Amino acid sequence: MSTATADVQKTVTDFLSSIEKLPEGFGADTPLYADGAGLDSLETAELSATLEDVHGSDPYSVGEMPQTLGEILAFYAGA
Amino acid sequence: MSETPQNPAAQNSTQPRVVIVTGGSRGLGAGIVESYLASGDLVAACARSVTPEVERWRTEHPDRFFFATADLSKSADAKAFVDAVVERWDRVDVLINNAGVARDGILGMATDEDIDVVVDLNIKGTLYMSRLVSRRMLARRSGSIVNISSIVGRSGYRGLGVYSATKAALDGLTRSMARELGSRGITVNGIAPGYLRTEMSHGLDEGQMGQIERRTPAGRLGEPVDVARVCQFLTDPAGSYLTGQVLVVDGGLTS
Repeated sequence: MSTATADVQKTVTDFLSSIEKLPEGFGADTPLYADGAGLDSLETAELSATLEDVHGSDPYSVGEMPQTLGEILAFYAGA
Repeated sequence: MSETPQNPAAQNSTQPRVVIVTGGSRGLGAGIVESYLASGDLVAACARSVTPEVERWRTEHPDRFFFATADLSKSADAKAFVDAVVERWDRVDVLINNAGVARDGILGMATDEDIDVVVDLNIKGTLYMSRLVSRRMLARRSGSIVNISSIVGRSGYRGLGVYSATKAALDGLTRSMARELGSRGITVNGIAPGYLRTEMSHGLDEGQMGQIERRTPAGRLGEPVDVARVCQFLTDPAGSYLTGQVLVVDGGLTS
């Protein structure tokens, strides 16, 4: 799949939905961890693996720790 | 997040699994490769060199066997190998971490290089492969990993201090990964073989081998197929409730 913004956003929201952690009004600035979607360490690893599996790369694997969907989208936009 | 067990009948899919066997060119690894080829699976193996067995499998199973030379003590080699498997077959269902090396000798006489070679392949190589493959399994929420350790990781053996330490480390890795991944439908188990009739036992002299045979309740040394059968058991998709265990397969030697 492409790394177009809409595709990456869909991967993230589908993942959050699948683990029942998609916050109401989830958007580019919603925190992914505490006080936001509330991802724990294993769920973060799953998100990282899913992004790599679907889009061929992911920000976590290059040492980045995106805090929001917006930061994930920025990674792919800059790739 | 834990999921209820599926209907066992539904788990007995006829779809072949994608199986990675590290160190799969000779000895125990070759026996494990043979076993998964016999069960109709897609088997990817890696090792530092090609052997006649590898050439035979390439000829006999061109669509179901893939081999790449790799030095798994190098992270880049491990990644290239896993990427090649995923490129070819899209996923990994089973990982058998079998690659290992031993250098015998009293620890007090071991060189830095002796220690590095054994630690780098046996521990770091296994960590690299487990990290890469568990990510693939996490993305699909299924899979089985088996770490091949050794009874000497439990009992110790004169002259195998470094090797024993690395094998004990693998047992710890097995339990930790099982705890990390259990809720995601991924099982992680270990096998601690006893003394096998493979090249890894060549450091033992005839007297030592004879003594081991006499002390083994089964009355013989192990064969690769003895361990391969347990690999098949531990990676059976219906066995999702068995995880975090290290099974000793030694003919009763340490019982």
